[in-house]
Amino acid sequence: MNSHAAGTSNGGSGDAGGAGAGAARRNTRMPKYSKFTQQELPACKPILTPKWVVSVFFIVGVIFVPIGVVSLLAARDVVEIIDRYDEACVPGNMTENKLAYIQNSSIPKDCTRTLMVTKDMKQPIFVYYQLDNFYQNHRRYVKSRNDAQLRDPSKANKTSACEPEKTTADGKPIVPCGLIAWSLFNDTYIFARGNENLTVDKKHISWKSDREHKFGKDVYPSNFQNGSLIGGAKLDPNISLSEQEDLIVWMRTAALPTFRKLYGRIYVDLKENDNITVRLSNNYNTYSFGGKKKLVLSTATWLGGKNDFLGYTYLIVGGLCIFLAFAFTLLYFIKPRKLGDHNYLSWNRHPAGR
Amino acid sequence: MAEDHHGSSRHMSASQKDLGDEDARVVRVGDAERTSERLEYAGNAVRTAKYSPLTFLPRNLFEQFHRLAYVYFLVIAVLNQLPQLAVFGRGASVMPLAFVLIVTAVKDAYEDWRRHRSDRAENGRLAAVLSPGEGAGAQFRPTEWKHVRVGDVLRIVSNESLPADMVLLATSEPTGVAYVQTLNLDGESNLKTRYAKQETLSTPPDQLTGAVIRCERPNRNVYGFQANLELEGESRRIPLGPSNIVLRGCELKNTAWAVGVVVYAGRETKAMLNNAGAPKKRSRLETHMNRETLFLSAILVVLCALVAALSGVWLRTHEEELELAQFFHKRDYLSKDKDGNYNYYGIAAQIVFIFLMAVIVFQIMIPISLYISMELVRLGQAYFMIRDTRLYDESSNTRFQCRALNINEDLGQVKCVFSDKTGTLTQNKMEFRCASIDGIDYSDITRQQPVAEGDRIWAPNISVNTDSELVKLIRDGGDTYQGRHTREFFLALATCNTIVPMITDGADPKKKVIDYQGESPDEQALVSAAAAYGFVLVERTSGHIVIDVLGEKQRYEVLGLHEFDSDRKRMSVIIGCPDKTVMLFVKGADSSMFGVIDKTINSDLVQATEKHLHSYSSLGLRTLVIGMRELSQAEFQEWQMAYEKASTALLGRGNLLRGVAANIERNLRLLGASGIEDKLQDGVPEAIEKLRQAGIKVWVLTGDKQETAISIGYSCKLLTREMTQIVINSHSRDSCTKSLDDAISMVDKFQSFSTDSQARVPLALIIDGNSLVYIFDTDREEKLFEVAIACDVVLCCRVAPLQKAGIVDLIKKRTSDMTLAIGDGANDVSMIQMADVGIGISGQEGRQAVMASDFAMGQFRFLVPLLLVHGHWNYQRMGYMILYNFYRNATFVFMLFWYVLYTGFTLTTAITEWSSVLYSVIYTAVPTIVVAILDKDLGRRTLLKYPQLYGAGQCEENYNLRLFIFIMMDSVWQSLAIFFIPYLAYRKSVIDGASLGDLWTLSVVILVNIHLAMDVIRWNWITHAAIWGSIVATWICVMIIDSIPIMPGFWAIYKVMGTGLFWALLLAVTVAGMIPHFAAKAFKEYFTPSDIQIAREMEKWQDTHDVTHPEVQMSTVVRV
Repeated sequence: MNSHAAGTSNGGSGDAGGAGAGAARRNTRMPKYSKFTQQELPACKPILTPKWVVSVFFIVGVIFVPIGVVSLLAARDVVEIIDRYDEACVPGNMTENKLAYIQNSSIPKDCTRTLMVTKDMKQPIFVYYQLDNFYQNHRRYVKSRNDAQLRDPSKANKTSACEPEKTTADGKPIVPCGLIAWSLFNDTYIFARGNENLTVDKKHISWKSDREHKFGKDVYPSNFQNGSLIGGAKLDPNISLSEQEDLIVWMRTAALPTFRKLYGRIYVDLKENDNITVRLSNNYNTYSFGGKKKLVLSTATWLGGKNDFLGYTYLIVGGLCIFLAFAFTLLYFIKPRKLGDHNYLSWNRHPAGR
Repeated sequence: MAEDHHGSSRHMSASQKDLGDEDARVVRVGDAERTSERLEYAGNAVRTAKYSPLTFLPRNLFEQFHRLAYVYFLVIAVLNQLPQLAVFGRGASVMPLAFVLIVTAVKDAYEDWRRHRSDRAENGRLAAVLSPGEGAGAQFRPTEWKHVRVGDVLRIVSNESLPADMVLLATSEPTGVAYVQTLNLDGESNLKTRYAKQETLSTPPDQLTGAVIRCERPNRNVYGFQANLELEGESRRIPLGPSNIVLRGCELKNTAWAVGVVVYAGRETKAMLNNAGAPKKRSRLETHMNRETLFLSAILVVLCALVAALSGVWLRTHEEELELAQFFHKRDYLSKDKDGNYNYYGIAAQIVFIFLMAVIVFQIMIPISLYISMELVRLGQAYFMIRDTRLYDESSNTRFQCRALNINEDLGQVKCVFSDKTGTLTQNKMEFRCASIDGIDYSDITRQQPVAEGDRIWAPNISVNTDSELVKLIRDGGDTYQGRHTREFFLALATCNTIVPMITDGADPKKKVIDYQGESPDEQALVSAAAAYGFVLVERTSGHIVIDVLGEKQRYEVLGLHEFDSDRKRMSVIIGCPDKTVMLFVKGADSSMFGVIDKTINSDLVQATEKHLHSYSSLGLRTLVIGMRELSQAEFQEWQMAYEKASTALLGRGNLLRGVAANIERNLRLLGASGIEDKLQDGVPEAIEKLRQAGIKVWVLTGDKQETAISIGYSCKLLTREMTQIVINSHSRDSCTKSLDDAISMVDKFQSFSTDSQARVPLALIIDGNSLVYIFDTDREEKLFEVAIACDVVLCCRVAPLQKAGIVDLIKKRTSDMTLAIGDGANDVSMIQMADVGIGISGQEGRQAVMASDFAMGQFRFLVPLLLVHGHWNYQRMGYMILYNFYRNATFVFMLFWYVLYTGFTLTTAITEWSSVLYSVIYTAVPTIVVAILDKDLGRRTLLKYPQLYGAGQCEENYNLRLFIFIMMDSVWQSLAIFFIPYLAYRKSVIDGASLGDLWTLSVVILVNIHLAMDVIRWNWITHAAIWGSIVATWICVMIIDSIPIMPGFWAIYKVMGTGLFWALLLAVTVAGMIPHFAAKAFKEYFTPSDIQIAREMEKWQDTHDVTHPEVQMSTVVRV
């Protein structure tokens, strides 16, 4: 904002230094002169002039509106198919008692859903499961893990903070311990278009950094999921944690109570009006707390998934800025003031006021 | 005699009490063992250090926890250690407190180490102590200071410091005189004379053993001492007074050696007893800040209660689900107790826990770091004030001193200045200007000229202009009546004083330079004047003085001396002249002198002199009246007996001596009067004018006469001709009441008058000390206050030190106006301590005022840059910093709060605990401190050119409730933007907590820093480095935290920075968050500009114009 450097140099009174006065100066306690100690460092003094205010608003507006339009278009490009299946997959006779259904392991949990592709979807198509009302950010939950144990096989006994899924009843440490691992999501999906199986690629769904540094290659699950209450999936004790990608994804706890987790990718283009058959096993218990489970197929853009909000934010902020630019212009014309006019000083306006 | 000099004895009367035997300290000379056998007297080791290595930790911690804020810190940290409430990890929760404690402890330890070092050096110095010799006789042996004990006999050589308070026994001078410099004690650089008693002078020190000194208990009064000496085998008690004691910290000068006996040692010495630190004061801003802190506490409690209540509701509605919900897992199946729950104690307990956890999570709502920041900022501000070359006084070679570190910002809000006159407005360098001798006025300046050098042998270091006619009269007057009187007058000036001449060789070998050393500048001026007229005082011992009278050396015996005291207001000497006559010379204030002058001798003379006195004092001169009387032999002997009796008395010696003096000082013959000019300090009128323009009321409180005070008032432009003066000057209670009522009606009249016409008549109130006594006695303070507050100028004359404090209190009690007291003498101490801000002038009158002050400087005129420039800056900076700190922490807390609403009210934070802890310590601390130290709203020149700009501080424009509410609203809006824009954008996505947390951390840090950046007025490279560097540092910290594999959020920042959405959101949050602040700021600055704003614009656009404009030079450069 209109800046020009101006060092306030003021009669260099401090600098009396002459070589002749050397002896006298040694005794003097006069502070040494420097621009810093005299608080006269060269400085720029920006002032919000009308020109600057209007230009700032206008420029911000001009930058924001196009970004808003672009991101809105990008979000609109994303094709997203969402299917809530937790209700539908409960057999008709059990709808009154969903908890009994999910807890009874003798009832088969298989379920078939058909999804209709609303628009052409370019590969890769991301397969997510979405949980609603699952507080993965609940304090009890997020804290219940031990990251040291996940990296290093020698630290299997480090189960602090893992309560209440810390050890087995006979005191053996659970690997991976804690509520998060214990509650691992265990619904599975198999996709088909007509008779053609759509392979879901489950490789590399987790962060590379997690696979390589956070979850040990030589750490294997032990004593996992054999307590009296089963929270979710079991893990194959012969596969190291760094290869248990579903677990790795799950353990990146979501920030918000409604969240998606990547299940896999389908590297096939889908056409409009394609019918996708999903054979899923509905194992995960969300009935106990009124949570919802959804299957999501989605393409992606540089901005992520299908969310208009960012575009609207940019449009609104940009629009507001342009409005303010005009409003200020108008105001400046209606009520102009000469900047730096000493007649506006309060004691000049009311000479008798003091 | 000026009251100001001797005022100290009036209010420091600790030693004035008469000495009784029962509470006396008994010192056996040369026998330290027996001296401290019964009562343990302090040894001479001093200890200014507070801690020892062992006690450091407990004592330092104890002192630090005196601050309430630290206790709050501690309670929170302790709460967090309870397993149920463990919000943060151990390390993270203790870190802020530990950080603050360690920083302070290191600072304290360093300071204490320096004190230890100086203590060691001080205690290890050597002094020659008389040790009883084995057979061969006693010898002086070098002993370390710390081993010196009460009762030891010491020998000090020239230029050596005194290790303890000692009574002089003998000196190298045959007369027993010793000269000491008290620079370290009271800052007075002139030499003081001290005497050893004749009785001990000739005895070798080792034979004095057995003598006993009884003295008063240790006290702080450096100007008082009462004791007596009882020699072995003699029943007579020799009186000892202040002139017989030399104090620790002084240096022996111009005396080859002196022998004395230690009476007070170590911490009981007067120097150490006076070493009390500056008084603790609290700044106005800080007091106001407490109000806002209470508001914030209320907000904190509301937030916590809300979270606790909502969590209760949530638990109630989800009660059935808690057992099976994977994220809750209520039961603990490993528990032996089959129904055992894991960390769940029922809803009621849960609500309490959640409340306490909320307090822990939201703790920084109360900005603890602010207290440390404020201390650092004040240190920085003090550094700049001390280093300001414009506050450096060349004549006394003193820098500005910040003695109190916590009221810097009060300097920006002063509304009322109470100033002492002598030494503060005036230089207290007296100059003899004129005399009225024998009813003839010699005040014509045109006749005066410097003394002709010529054949003079003696050259006093103070040159005086002489009246040629007077000189002629003295030289050629011969035996005329007039000539004799004139000579007597100057003889009186040369004899009736306590000045010591120090003679040194001048450049010309034939000439001697005389340096007149003495405690009173008035006396120095008078003696110099006498010398200029040919009455040169050249030698003084305790028994006689030598005066060079017109080239002929004459010896006068000093038979007795009645020192000046503030009751008699005069002093007298009894002189034995060479012609064996005995003369009494008296000089004193006119009010006291006319009472003892025999007016029957020559009433015309008295009247003429009175007239001259009046005209002198209206010129602003200090006047003294001189009288004399020849004593008959009988009279003299009667006096001598009374004098000796009184001066050896143990009980009521002071009163007895006063009685003796009053008895002899009567029926005096009037010789004349002198007029001494008390020169104004440089730039005083300009400074007062500036202060007045700045809306600061200036009150002058002086001990001087009304006429002198008024004339000084005129000469320093305090009073102007167009002012209406209200004078309250009463001798009785009733007339005082009446004149006060008159004053009120007058004020009312003028005030009603002023509403009619725009031009207001300025009023000045002049009141004297007597009237003040009546007013304070009769509870009419309220009325006085009414009058005083309506007047532009108040001048109080003839006031005693305690009255000065009373007047300050009058204003302080009834208004919220910030008061500032400035003075230089011991008589100003009470006023300086009473006022909100006390300033000491480190000038002529010693260091008592400086010791009691909050700030000290060399000149009165420095008050202008101090208040108008530094005060203004300090206030503006501190005010903004406090508000900003409130805003900054509140924004963070609100942001956490919004997130808590989406976590089942369980106080999870997406932001890592380390970031939460580091937020106010590292992420955002440096810029606000730097800005609060360096930012300037206006330049020095503008502030001095428009003193009215000072009004901003007086009206509390930079810190008030309105600004607080506005900035809190801004804080809420910004927290909403920071939280909800990412929240809505990331809803139903794969975003993990750590990534979102990092985004929030960075957005809040960027936003609050940009907020600060937007309010910075002057950008220099340090500001740039601090603000942008802080953002970069935050980024680096976040990256470091995310590079630790065992942190749950490992690598999140790198991952999220790879997405476009992150950058888009960061930009959107920043812009959306700043729009209201920017728009409001732009609107306010343009459409409702403050004076500061307009001045800023003027500064910017007229700078180039002003540089070449001569007017600026005149109005800003106050120094002459």
